[in-house]
Amino acid sequence: MRHGKYRFLIGALAPPLLLYGVFVVSPYAQAFYLALTDWDGLSAEAGLVGLQNFADLWSDPLFLAALRNNGLMLVVVPTATIALALFFAACLTLGGGMRRRGRGVHGSGLYRIVYFFPQLLSVAILGVLFQFVYTPGNGLLNGLLGAVGLDGLQRSWLADPATALPAVTAVMVWSAVGFYVVLFTAAMESVPTDVVEAATLDGAGRFTVFRRITLPLVWDSVQVAYVYLGILALDGFALVQIMSVGPGGPDNATEVIGLTLYRAAFTYGEFGYASAMGVTLFFITLTLTALAMRATKRERVELA
Amino acid sequence: MAGAAAVLSGCVTAGGDDPAEQATGAVTDDNPLGVPEGADLEVVMFDGGYGQEYTRHAVTLYEERHPDATVTHEGLQKVGEVLQPRFVSGEPPDVVDNSGAGRLDIAALAAAGQLTDLADLLDAPSLDDPAVTVGDLLLPGVVEDGTLDGTVSFLNYSYVVWGIWYSRSLFDQHGWTLPATWDDMLALCEEIKGAGIAPWTWQGKYPEYMMDPLQSLAAKAGGLDLVYAIDNLAPDAWRQEGVLAAADAIHRLVAGGHILEGSEGLSHTEAQNAWCSGQAAFIPCGSWIEGEQQGVTPEGFDMAMAAVPALTAADALPDGAVQGASSESFLVPAQALNPRGGLDYLRCLFSGEVARGFAESAKAMPVVKGATDGLDLTSGLASVAAALETAGDNVFGYKYRTWYPELAVEVDTATGELLAGRADPEQWADRIQAAADAVAADDSIAKYER
Amino acid sequence: MKPRLLKPRLTDGALHLVLAVWAVLVTLPLAWAVLSSLKTDAEIFASPWSLPASPQWDNWARAWQEANIGKYLLNTLIVVGGALALVMLLGALTAYCLARYDFPGNRLVYYLLVAGMLFPVFLALVPLFFVVDQLGLLGTYHGLILVYAAYALPFTVFFLHAFFRSLPAATAEAAFIDGCSHTGVFFRVMLPMARPGMVSVGIFNFLGLWNQYLLPLVLNPDPDRYVLAQGLAALAVSQGYRSDFSGLFAGLIIAILPVLLAYLLFQRQIRSGLTAGAVR
Repeated sequence: MRHGKYRFLIGALAPPLLLYGVFVVSPYAQAFYLALTDWDGLSAEAGLVGLQNFADLWSDPLFLAALRNNGLMLVVVPTATIALALFFAACLTLGGGMRRRGRGVHGSGLYRIVYFFPQLLSVAILGVLFQFVYTPGNGLLNGLLGAVGLDGLQRSWLADPATALPAVTAVMVWSAVGFYVVLFTAAMESVPTDVVEAATLDGAGRFTVFRRITLPLVWDSVQVAYVYLGILALDGFALVQIMSVGPGGPDNATEVIGLTLYRAAFTYGEFGYASAMGVTLFFITLTLTALAMRATKRERVELA
Repeated sequence: MAGAAAVLSGCVTAGGDDPAEQATGAVTDDNPLGVPEGADLEVVMFDGGYGQEYTRHAVTLYEERHPDATVTHEGLQKVGEVLQPRFVSGEPPDVVDNSGAGRLDIAALAAAGQLTDLADLLDAPSLDDPAVTVGDLLLPGVVEDGTLDGTVSFLNYSYVVWGIWYSRSLFDQHGWTLPATWDDMLALCEEIKGAGIAPWTWQGKYPEYMMDPLQSLAAKAGGLDLVYAIDNLAPDAWRQEGVLAAADAIHRLVAGGHILEGSEGLSHTEAQNAWCSGQAAFIPCGSWIEGEQQGVTPEGFDMAMAAVPALTAADALPDGAVQGASSESFLVPAQALNPRGGLDYLRCLFSGEVARGFAESAKAMPVVKGATDGLDLTSGLASVAAALETAGDNVFGYKYRTWYPELAVEVDTATGELLAGRADPEQWADRIQAAADAVAADDSIAKYER
Repeated sequence: MKPRLLKPRLTDGALHLVLAVWAVLVTLPLAWAVLSSLKTDAEIFASPWSLPASPQWDNWARAWQEANIGKYLLNTLIVVGGALALVMLLGALTAYCLARYDFPGNRLVYYLLVAGMLFPVFLALVPLFFVVDQLGLLGTYHGLILVYAAYALPFTVFFLHAFFRSLPAATAEAAFIDGCSHTGVFFRVMLPMARPGMVSVGIFNFLGLWNQYLLPLVLNPDPDRYVLAQGLAALAVSQGYRSDFSGLFAGLIIAILPVLLAYLLFQRQIRSGLTAGAVR
């Protein structure tokens, strides 16, 4: 009965692949080619320079600073976001004790609605908003610290090399946590209550239940979250461009690859060089994703 | 995937379509630039601090002169991203105001042969008086500013002067007088602090605002030779005595605690508002600040600009010398469909009528001679005009920022560190010198000389 | 069981405290932005906490006029709606074929698609402009829709691929035996079963496309067709030249409101849809 398989496959795959090939693959393929040239982004000709652009990258202090900062964000953003989200999700679902039987703490629905808010803000809005949160004199954060008597902690958050990158990273985490709380909560709620009950009757504490039963079951969601957040952390361009001193400062403390690339392409007219950065970023991302997928691969727990 | 392959063959560097026919019309007294009859015109403007009133005004004049033409006028904030692909594909508009943070690298545009030579425009009779050419109407230095490799590639519209801004009423109230030298400035700072006001604030997120007084002090101390050495990437140019002394002078503001706390984290509008609300006495800025602040300047504030004081009494340049330059760059793309119309549009723009309107609506100095004569100038603009008058021929300017944007980024980063107190003048100079040397050694960067 | 009943009450108090702290952290900046949008510039600079002497509703009016929020909202809905429908259909088809059929080149196509997630978009901008321009799609709704859909395709396929894999094979087998065609099986059997996953990825895509900024910046130069992100950026940039903080805050709030209202109205469906797909 399965005749016509290839006719179906061709019919089904041709339109999406055509779309993808025309609008995504072909521009990127051109970018790969441009990475080997000295194209200035404005003239009709470009000279081939081989791998010179890639060689230059490793002596470019801005690019190296950007690589370091993106690397830090890549570690911190997914880890912090997922840890916070798992923690809050666990609070929401495992609280309430036996009486509420896995329906979570009172008002957990309200928390979930509120936590999702930041996800509704576009990056442009986030940047502008948090620029004011961090502003030295009359900003929200310093005002808050002053109000609770922590004047000693007040500082120019975005102008101090020690706090600028953490400040930007915090915005990313702040905006992403809620989404994953909602995601993980639902995953945890799908854990059958009788399994949890049985475990509890066996004397397992909440933490043990979380570690031994809940976490393995939400591991798939965690994996998806890691990839998505990793891509987010490798970007950061819009936030840095709107919020940071310079932008990219102070003293390159918030330089990210996107910004270095953007500046090279649009300010310096070094489009070939910028393309080389993009290609490098592509291979770094590719490697990291492959590694992450391998590292987080676990046998899925079958409950059926 | 066949479609993808077909598109790939039309690669970005394969060149645009064959250049479209660029029609020209008959040259007459009424049409000195030979604009073709009925040809449409597309004008793309940077929509920034000066607004769009003056460029629209010029559209009106153009439409009166060419009633058959359809003129489209568009204001953009990120000129670069939008226009770059159009330049490469050979479909640029007829006139561009290439300004603002997202502007295109104009030197690269010129090098790529993307710009029309504006010599014909300069030789054309002005709209105001057929006996005077457009070129004769421009303030000195404007044509030079727009010349790249011997070709007039663009013309700037606004004449910007940099200095130190203060509130006349605040100074009168406290009996403060403007300092003549930097030592006087430091003494005055102590006095201002005594009155419970921060002597200075600055636009810390964009360190180039503070680089302007610094490099003004340096130019005054070392004269034009110092300026040229820097622009020409001469060895140890940033370690010249005058440069180090100027950096030290600015650093003393930091060391003496004369800067409003937190300024290093303020955006330009935030810092300027702090200054306007009386939290600080001085702020460095170019002459556009009055227009930028017009909505929030308190009644009776009376803002005014003073020239940067002399570094010492032994300066190379006389008192009152100011850093000035033209900005807001207008160009006609070489591949435009109607380049003659583009030139004629600029002829309208550089007319006395439009220039006067610009001074009034944008509160800034146009580059057209005598445009502000007889106008009732606002307090800030009047002080700028007065400062220019005092300076006479002693107007100086640096070019490294336009010529070598890579260097400018490093200069700004180093200056930010200097002002935050994390680098001393020596470290500041070393860092910039290293960047300047790297640019000088990089063959892929086109070099200029003055 | 007695002691266990007591213990949760105690710890629930601590849980609520922790949860409430985050809820405050999340809402505070938004509430503060709302407050600031009703103050005068002078009041904003005087203190971050003070209440406005009288609410400055004209800030909102000014921002509404200047930022053309109404028009941009409509443009955004057209483009995002169109792209969403397209990418969901094509993405589901692709993911289904790759997940359930064995054919030569399967892995290649899959990795080619997934690799698209890893590339910085602005690198493709200039070449992409030429592609779109040569097809005559520059500054058109359908051009933007096609491009949006193309760039959302990788994530959609990546997400749905895993989902289709996890669906039981038995139902499809039965349908084939009943004489269903390949197309029929997909549309009548598999797609309905994949509905939770579709809703999830649909929400991911909606948020991603809604916030798209770089693509329209270059491919959508006509101010009449601006999407919301472009309008907002224009507002923020012009603030830099004219110093109007209250107007900027008002613009931010106006731009947030429609999404916030939509979310509050449909939050139950959104959250259950989002999560039903993620939990396989």
